Amino acid sequence: MKIFKTLKGMHTAGKAGMIFLLMGSCEKVEFDPALKHEFTIQSAADGSEYRIEVGLPAGYHPGGEKYPSLYILDGEENFDFVSSQCSEISDMLGVQNVVTISIGYGNDRSLDYTPTEVSAETGGGPRFLHFIETQLIPAMEGYFSVDTSRGSRTIMGHSYGGLFGAYAFSVNNRLFGNYILLSPSLWFDDLVSLQFEKQYRTENKDRSQLVFLGIGEAENLGRMQAPFEAFYQTLQSQYPHIKLTKNKEENLGHMGSRNPNIVKGLHYYFQNR
Amino acid sequence: MNSIKNICLLIAILFSMPLTAQRTFSSLSKEFNTLPKLTLEPGVGIHTNFGTDFLITTLIQWNWLDRLSFASHSSFNINNITQRSFNGIKTRYNYSINQKLGLGTTFYTGGNSHSVLLMAGIKYTSYRETLEDARFEPFGTAIHALSPDYGLMYSHKKIWKKYFFTYRMYVPLYPWPAKGSDLLYLEGNMDNIALEVGLGIRII
Repeated sequence: MKIFKTLKGMHTAGKAGMIFLLMGSCEKVEFDPALKHEFTIQSAADGSEYRIEVGLPAGYHPGGEKYPSLYILDGEENFDFVSSQCSEISDMLGVQNVVTISIGYGNDRSLDYTPTEVSAETGGGPRFLHFIETQLIPAMEGYFSVDTSRGSRTIMGHSYGGLFGAYAFSVNNRLFGNYILLSPSLWFDDLVSLQFEKQYRTENKDRSQLVFLGIGEAENLGRMQAPFEAFYQTLQSQYPHIKLTKNKEENLGHMGSRNPNIVKGLHYYFQNR
Repeated sequence: MNSIKNICLLIAILFSMPLTAQRTFSSLSKEFNTLPKLTLEPGVGIHTNFGTDFLITTLIQWNWLDRLSFASHSSFNINNITQRSFNGIKTRYNYSINQKLGLGTTFYTGGNSHSVLLMAGIKYTSYRETLEDARFEPFGTAIHALSPDYGLMYSHKKIWKKYFFTYRMYVPLYPWPAKGSDLLYLEGNMDNIALEVGLGIRII
């Protein structure tokens, strides 16, 4: 009511402008707090503290059925949206939901998500992957009712997060069986992620896995599309047991395509896992 | 649905502007008959995405009534000029063509005119990237995309007899809010704000 009282005293154009701005504002999606757990884990390697949020499926009972797990990079930005989408999509498809695990920022994301060092702010990827493998996953699978098989674990990342997912795919493929990689920065360090894929191909190519690759059609700054296509075509031709798809989100750029690709990636995962 | 409401409200804002302008500049409307009716305004410009796009543009404006103007804006954009080779990734071509039609209002102050126009049209974008690195097989991909192009244009003319200097700013309303209300879509709008300058000529 207060808004309408304010509008009454305004000029016509001002009123319309105010309404326009109010209607255009985005409602923030929030995951049900009753299903959310939150804590921090300190990395044994460098002492960094990672804020972890866990989203449980509705009807979750400790000691009950085991759920697949979805590890979300850039978790502080994406957790609520991804967890809410997982509930909606799994309900819609009538399939088992996942436990979502959000990994917050223990360090700058450019340090944790990049596999090699090209500056003082990059190259912490190996240490971060080791933290996920030796501390985070055991903690999650020890404390929550989560399936411990590789095929039940998924990692999702966007941009540098997508680069980290591609790095995990190549160098430690036995950790995750499913990858949702959105606008991955595969150009990083002279295409190092493509080098890793080639280097570890023999070890990885006969494993079953699911990969969703998403990008924005308007990402036209001369670095995103060609390595994305190269990675996709290589996986398609070299990995006989892979479930693979790609999506180019129409008319959207690097950030704009993120949420639509999350939704499409989750659909693909729930329908094909 | 929300997007349609937003567009309707935007149109309401635009058409409320002539009323404001009418009150403010009514004394100047007598001069309308001496002011340009039809103008041709070629120009050049950049986008605000770090200024890496070069725009060659033309605005044709027809001031039909005292406060009602029609316009056609055409633009050929050479995109991402400064970075055509990066980490073994080459951009073979990257351009877009925009064509918009619009209507709005124009008001005059001394030797200047100010137009605010609601524009709508289409944008065609085409680019090709290739991976050329001896360590990997060659890969290439091309994007050919057609998208709507809505937005608001402000055009300022500094009139000097038959000729004038013109400055234009175009703020797109696509992808946000026309495609969806996700605020992350604003990245697409911000990258495509166009700033243009040119020299125009009065035809009628």
